[in-house]
Amino acid sequence: MLRVEHLRKEYSTVVAVDDVSFALERGEIFGLLGPNGAGKTTTIRMILDVIKPDGGTISFDGGPFSEQIRNRVGYLPEERGLYRKSKLLDTILYFAGLRGMAHGEAKKEAIRWLERFGLADQTSRRIQELSRGNQQKVQFICSIIHWPDLVVLDEPFSGLDPVNQIVFKDVMRELKQQGRGIVFSTHQMDQAERLSDALCLIDRGKVVLAGTVREVKKRYGRNSLHLEFDGDGRFLPALPGVDRAILYENSAELDLGKGARIQNIVERINRNLELRKLELREPSLHSIFVQTVGRQDEHLAQGKNGS
Amino acid sequence: MMKVLIVARWEYMEKIRSKAFLIGLFLTPVIMVGMGVLPGLFATQEDQITKILGVIDQNGDIAIPFATRMQKRYSLDNGQPNYVVLPLGIGHELDMEAAIRDANRRLVEDEIEGYCLLPKTILSDSVVEYRSNAVGDFRIAQRVKETLQEIIAEERSAALGLDPKILAKLQVNLDVRTIKLSEAGEEEDSGFMKVFFSAYLFLMMLFFLIVTSGQLLVRSVIEEKSHRIVEVLVSSCSPTELMAGKVLGLSGLGLTQMGFWALIGIAMSRSFGLDFIAPGQALLLAVYFVLGYLFYAAVFIAAGSPLTTEQEAQQVTSYLVIFLIVPIVLAIPAIKTPDAGWLKIMTYIPFLTPTMMALRIPIQTPPLWEILSTIALMAVSIYVAMVTAGRIFRIAILSTGKTPKLWEIIQWARRP
Repeated sequence: MLRVEHLRKEYSTVVAVDDVSFALERGEIFGLLGPNGAGKTTTIRMILDVIKPDGGTISFDGGPFSEQIRNRVGYLPEERGLYRKSKLLDTILYFAGLRGMAHGEAKKEAIRWLERFGLADQTSRRIQELSRGNQQKVQFICSIIHWPDLVVLDEPFSGLDPVNQIVFKDVMRELKQQGRGIVFSTHQMDQAERLSDALCLIDRGKVVLAGTVREVKKRYGRNSLHLEFDGDGRFLPALPGVDRAILYENSAELDLGKGARIQNIVERINRNLELRKLELREPSLHSIFVQTVGRQDEHLAQGKNGS
Repeated sequence: MMKVLIVARWEYMEKIRSKAFLIGLFLTPVIMVGMGVLPGLFATQEDQITKILGVIDQNGDIAIPFATRMQKRYSLDNGQPNYVVLPLGIGHELDMEAAIRDANRRLVEDEIEGYCLLPKTILSDSVVEYRSNAVGDFRIAQRVKETLQEIIAEERSAALGLDPKILAKLQVNLDVRTIKLSEAGEEEDSGFMKVFFSAYLFLMMLFFLIVTSGQLLVRSVIEEKSHRIVEVLVSSCSPTELMAGKVLGLSGLGLTQMGFWALIGIAMSRSFGLDFIAPGQALLLAVYFVLGYLFYAAVFIAAGSPLTTEQEAQQVTSYLVIFLIVPIVLAIPAIKTPDAGWLKIMTYIPFLTPTMMALRIPIQTPPLWEILSTIALMAVSIYVAMVTAGRIFRIAILSTGKTPKLWEIIQWARRP
């Protein structure tokens, strides 16, 4: 439903987005990954017609962005902002109205979502009286209340406690099941790995990796074997298909090369050693990123502690 | 179009409930009434108790008749005399210094309200002094003057050997009434103060109207920018729709404000019998109010949307206020010479047109061709201002961080 081709955006001194292409189908969650400042937000702003690209095309169901499309997209911007002095329900109804939703229907939906997020008793409070987490929930409701076909969430989990992260993820999966397309950006690799069907990793404006999670792992990542054993493991580094091995007294980590035949390797090990534990590990997106880009990025958090 | 209305409704509803608007709505008439009516009320208020005045008469013949006449002529509502005049020193041989010292002491101790100093030469050079610590009390000064004039005239005529009865006939008390001719040539009783007051009143109203809503507009844009609300807005509707909605919502706000003030004005003129302005003029004023309001809405958008902080907004507002103040400064010369060429020329500067007209209409309704040409001028100016503001707005609302330089803004405005 969404197709982005050769997108480009330049600012006076830098190329913020350089030849970014990807596609999203209905019922898919697409992860836009990359460290801070990689060009994720700029890409998202171009998709939503907030800023105009300098090159490339964006199409919705084969056509360009139009006034009708505006009512079919929902957007949670990265920098959280709502009218501080306005009341919670009024704010939601305003944004729903701007997306073409009728007042009565919007009110019904708003109440339903507020109940789900535990804010039903705060409808007439002012935004500035709410906690940051609750403000984020209100914004999230604003971005999905009108049943958009395409939901764009820029860093939806940042600044959210783990309990609410789960609530957000549940809603995202529900939307996916209803056949809506979701694009979300994150700099937390583990989030993307678990949620997205397809992903695209951007670094300094360029696409570094793209595809489904499985594809990416298969194409770029190397599996590794972690084993614990009794016996003499000195033959392990010489096994065919093993690129690199780290040996300890009774354990080892073997990085497998491309096309390594795991079956053969395991058989050879089994013949020579008394195996106590054998684990085949997939590479994490984080390690793939580090391998591909060739550097460790401090902003690229592996855990949940990023913001 | 629907979205324009949704934005307009939001802007209207949110702002009409804001403190700044409510304060402006209620406080402005209070200030207007306070500035325009209260000093007049104080000035014409009658005394409640007898005031004691002193007189030092070096001539010797004036003090007694002066005291008698002041006491007899003016009385309070309860029949008591308004003034009692104490002779503090009479005669040629008077030690003036001692008498003045004594009088000053009484003044300081509040024994007397003030005192008259009548020199020896009073009959020839007609100079007297009234000394008081409240010299702003015009009425006492006026009454003292009238009474003394009478006595001196009598003394002089007696010296010439004239019959006092002839003198009474000779005296002329001229009352000049200013009559303002309306357009149709009908006579209309209108004093300078009334014209001044109504011209001033409408100018101030227009001033407050534009400044209040201009500030509300700029503030809301800055809030939307700084909190990035604008990204969601612009992904929901086009910047043009957003701006049109804001202008429309704000215009509704302005009309509400004007309507409210008009009601107060009508109620006041009914209950006090003051009529500031003829209905035809009021209608014409309303037209210029709306035109001025729309023009300045565009100006505020163009000047305000590139800003990023409240401080900058206040600065820019204060620059724009200068344009609005110009006609207020010119009010008095404009009333004196409503036909002056410079007044007409200034009317054709779009920034000044609405306020200049608000100033000129109550003084003297300008000729039809001037009205039509200024309305046409404003219509064109509003169109140009709105297009320019729209061009600046659509870029400015998405640029955050540093406030852009003036030449950058001009470049935005020139891009179609």
